[in-house]
Formats: sequence, C-alpha cells, structure tokens
Amino acid sequence: MGIAEYKNDVWGREVLLGVSWELLWLVCVVALVIVALHAMYMATRKRAERPSAAGKQVKRHELIDRVMHWVMAISIIALVITGVLPIIGIEFAWLTLHWISGLILTAAVLYHIVRSVLQKDLMAVWISADDFKEPFDENIKPGKYSLAQKGMHAAVTIATLLVIVSGLFMFAMIDTPWWDRTNALSESTLGWMFFIHGLSTLGLIALIVFHLYFTLRPEKLFYLRSMVKGWISEEELSANHDPERWVTDEST
Amino acid sequence: MASFDVMPDVQLFQPAELDDALNLADRYAEDGWLLGGGQDTYGWLKDRAKHPQAMIDLNGIEALRGVRQTENGIEIGAVTRLRDIIRDETLKRDFGLLVSAAEKVASPQIRNAGTLGGNLVQDARCWYYRRGLSCYRAGGNTCYADTPEGMNREHCIFGASRCVAVSPSDTATAIVALDATMVVQSVGRQRLVAAEDFFVGPATHITRMTSLEPGEILTAVRIPAKWAGKKFYFEKVADRNAWDFALVSIAAAISMDGDTIGDSRFVCGGVACTPHRLRNVEAAARGKTLSDENVEAVSQLASKGARPLRANGFKLPLMQNLVQRAMRA
Repeated sequence: MGIAEYKNDVWGREVLLGVSWELLWLVCVVALVIVALHAMYMATRKRAERPSAAGKQVKRHELIDRVMHWVMAISIIALVITGVLPIIGIEFAWLTLHWISGLILTAAVLYHIVRSVLQKDLMAVWISADDFKEPFDENIKPGKYSLAQKGMHAAVTIATLLVIVSGLFMFAMIDTPWWDRTNALSESTLGWMFFIHGLSTLGLIALIVFHLYFTLRPEKLFYLRSMVKGWISEEELSANHDPERWVTDEST
Repeated sequence: MASFDVMPDVQLFQPAELDDALNLADRYAEDGWLLGGGQDTYGWLKDRAKHPQAMIDLNGIEALRGVRQTENGIEIGAVTRLRDIIRDETLKRDFGLLVSAAEKVASPQIRNAGTLGGNLVQDARCWYYRRGLSCYRAGGNTCYADTPEGMNREHCIFGASRCVAVSPSDTATAIVALDATMVVQSVGRQRLVAAEDFFVGPATHITRMTSLEPGEILTAVRIPAKWAGKKFYFEKVADRNAWDFALVSIAAAISMDGDTIGDSRFVCGGVACTPHRLRNVEAAARGKTLSDENVEAVSQLASKGARPLRANGFKLPLMQNLVQRAMRA
C-alpha cells in the first residue's frame, strides 16, 4: 500500500493521481487504536475528583466564537461525508453539496483568522517553548489552552488550510454559478492538488476521531459545555488552568 | 497504447442457472465482468484497458432470454439478442419504438450477437476514456475531451459534471420513453428501478453509467402496457448509417387524444451521460394540436439549458429538428 496513486497521462508519462484511499482504513484503525489505548491507560489511573460546575462562572468563549466553531465543525463533517462516502461506495450527487460546504468552511475560517488577529489574543493558542514543560511538571498549569489543545488546534489549522487551498484549485475546475469550468491546470498540478486534498482529509479524519474522543471524555466534558454555553466554573478554571496565565475577560 | 492479439488471462464461468451467476457476481464483485453479447467487452479486454479477474458469461441462462407477456405489459430477458427483439411480433405490434431503436444498433452482425442488457449497460464511447487514459471516468483528475483542444464533437451538451461523455445506447432512449422498469438482482435480493433512474450521470457516479452495483445483474426489462400501440418515433443521426453511435437520437412515445397530444415522452440520446428526457417539451406539447406553429414553438424548448462544448454546438438545432420530426411523423 503506497501513500499515493499514479496513472499514465495522455503522453504515457506517469503522473500523480492523488492520495491512495486505501490509507483511509489504516488511518481510521490507527486513530481508533490510539483512542482505545488512551482510554485503557486512563482507566488504570486513579480518578481525580472533578471540580464542581457550580459557583461563579467564568466566560471562556464569546458567543460569536462558539457559533463559528460549530459552523466550522458542521461544515467539516459535511465535507468529510460528501467527500468520503462516494469513495467507499455510497454514491449520490455529492459534488455541489461538497463545494457549498467548502465555501462555508472557507468563509468561517477567514472570519476566524481575521478575528483572531485583530480582536483576540492570538498568542493564547500559539504553542511556545514553555508549554512543553507542562506535561512533565504537575505544578505547571496552562493558560487558557493546554499544550494538547494548542497542538490539536495547530494540527487542525494546518490540515484545514491545506484542504481549503487545494480545494479552491479544484473548485476552479468545475462549473459554478460564477464561472464555467476551465480545465486550465495541468494534470500533474491537479494531481498534486488531489494528493494534498486527500492527505489533509485523512489527517482531518484522524483529528476528528481524537477531537470527539477527548471532547466526550468525562473529565473534559466541561470544555464541551463551554463551547455550547460559553462558560466554565471558577473551580474548573483553578483545577485545570493557571489564572495567572489566563486573564479572563469578565465573569458572569 | 499497445493493442494485443490475444485475450488476457481471465477466468471464464458459464453458469446455466441464474443463482449460480448471482453467486459468482457476488463473489467477484468489482473484479467480475458480466458477459452478454461481448460487443462492448472484448475491445476493453483486448486493449488491456480493463482487468477483470473473472468473466461471467450469462448467455447459457435460459431464464434471462426471451420476450414474455406479463399481467401489465411485457418482460424482456436481459440476454435476449437484439435480433430477436427486432423479429418479435408482439414487440413489433405494441412496442415498435424499441424495435426501431434496436434496428439502428451498430450492424447486423453486432445485432445478431448483442443483447438488450449489454446494449443498455454499455460503457461510454469517449475515445479518450476508451483509449485507457486516466480521465475522470477512469478514476483520474481531468477530462481530456473538455479542454480548449479537446475533440468533443460527440460529447454532451447537458449534465456535464467533470466528465462530458454521453450515453451511447440506442435502446436506452426507447426504454426510458416507454417508461420501463429494470429488474436488478443480487444474491437474495431483487430491486426494481425505473429506467430513468437506472442510468446515472457523472455527478452521481463518475465511473459508472448505471446504478448497477458490483454483484448485481440486470436480469430483465419490463415495459408497461400503458404505452402499447401509441404513436412512436425513433430517429438516430450518426455520421454513418450503420456501425456508428448516435450524434443525437430521439425516441418519442406520444399518446394522441384526437388531434391533440395527451401524455408524451421525448427522450434524446447522445446529448447527456444518461438518456435525456425532454420534460419541458412534454409539458409544452400536452393539449396542443400538431399545427406547424405549435410544433415549431414546442421544439424550440428541446435544447433549452444546453451547454455546448467547443465542437458540438450543432447538437442544439439537431435536437430541435428531431423533436419536430417526431411530432410530425
């Protein structure tokens, strides 16, 4: 099983066709095995007492950020479903749904980037050298985001940007309400776009598995609540974060 | 690309019972190749452009052969020869549209060997694809026909979605016009598919022409009595009178109510990846007389929404003229 697929072009030259979709099953299995191993490891550990959700509430996510998070999440899920189901043999007219979802994701990501740069503390989610001390010293608590959360964000950012950029090149090759298909890119260039698009999709699938798993872990459920309702409790904050490193905007 | 004098090494199965064929189709799935008359098959295999492991010859299965009367029309076995369809008295009397379409398939030799099922499920004839190139339809990333230099005189003007190949089947247009139902079987399952839904375009499945899944066999075509004995018209425009595929064809079934048109079904071949039903023509024709003005006005709708490629703009007036000829016949 290779990482890429090749075929011959009109002149008989071998050109890159895209990612090898046999990797899809490997990615799913590996991701699920990692999740299972982590779950078993966590089951052997002594369960720490969970901080209470009662008491004073601290705002973690603004409403607009929560909305954009769910818009991005739904559009990524829609993209994976419309993109991958036909590959595994479930056929339907997927292309229009796929590019509409892609445009929604692109718009949401652009908004998120602009807001993060202009209106928010971009460095709060940026990985720094100090963050790597976190896993090795129980006394060091993270700021707003833990190293794992920052790592997940960075990985999703890279995969999403790659899938968007490659997707936009492929978008130019099909009919849309705004332009007619052009077939202007060479086969080898398109092959690279398909390869990047496929590879980043495989990465996103693995990241979705990890994200869902860690979101639904009992000790992390308060993060899910904060992405729905916007807040965590003061006790949850002090148990999981360093208030010195996370200056909250306001309390509710 | 090299062509070879001998067939590739393929395991041949010649089941005599449908159950055996279904089991083989199920076992080999995408690696199996269902063989009817072989007129679309042997070229693929000889050019080494398709590589099935096993060939399942359906010709020995008596249950898949012949024309049978049913409670509500007729049923035609999928491996019934086109020649037998052309000679069948019931079909000639009640469903002359299918007979006319079958008469226009390729050449006498091919009609002697070719089957109805094979003609219906045959693959696209786009030469870039048939040449074995890695186009969209072959699982690649591009369409060679849909480029500024592409040779696309024969390609589609409706329903392009990356691929611009057309449905090459003459009988498919007639089957859709007659509102037929396809009987599709697999191990332990039978499904009935309206002919119109049986053929799929590239937006749904870019590497297939029909909704047949691996492991499924088209076993029969059922034509309802509704259209028996109605006014029919079939015409195929091609570069040659014989042994050629349609540039544009039309199959029309028209129910006349005195001098006015009642229900009708107009279906064009050679213009889309599936038999292309002219619903706007059908709607506009309903209740109209066959006056020159009406025929002219209705026919103009035939090509509405068409998106011609570089070299096939001629198909638009051709479609309109064929609709006129079908109405005036």
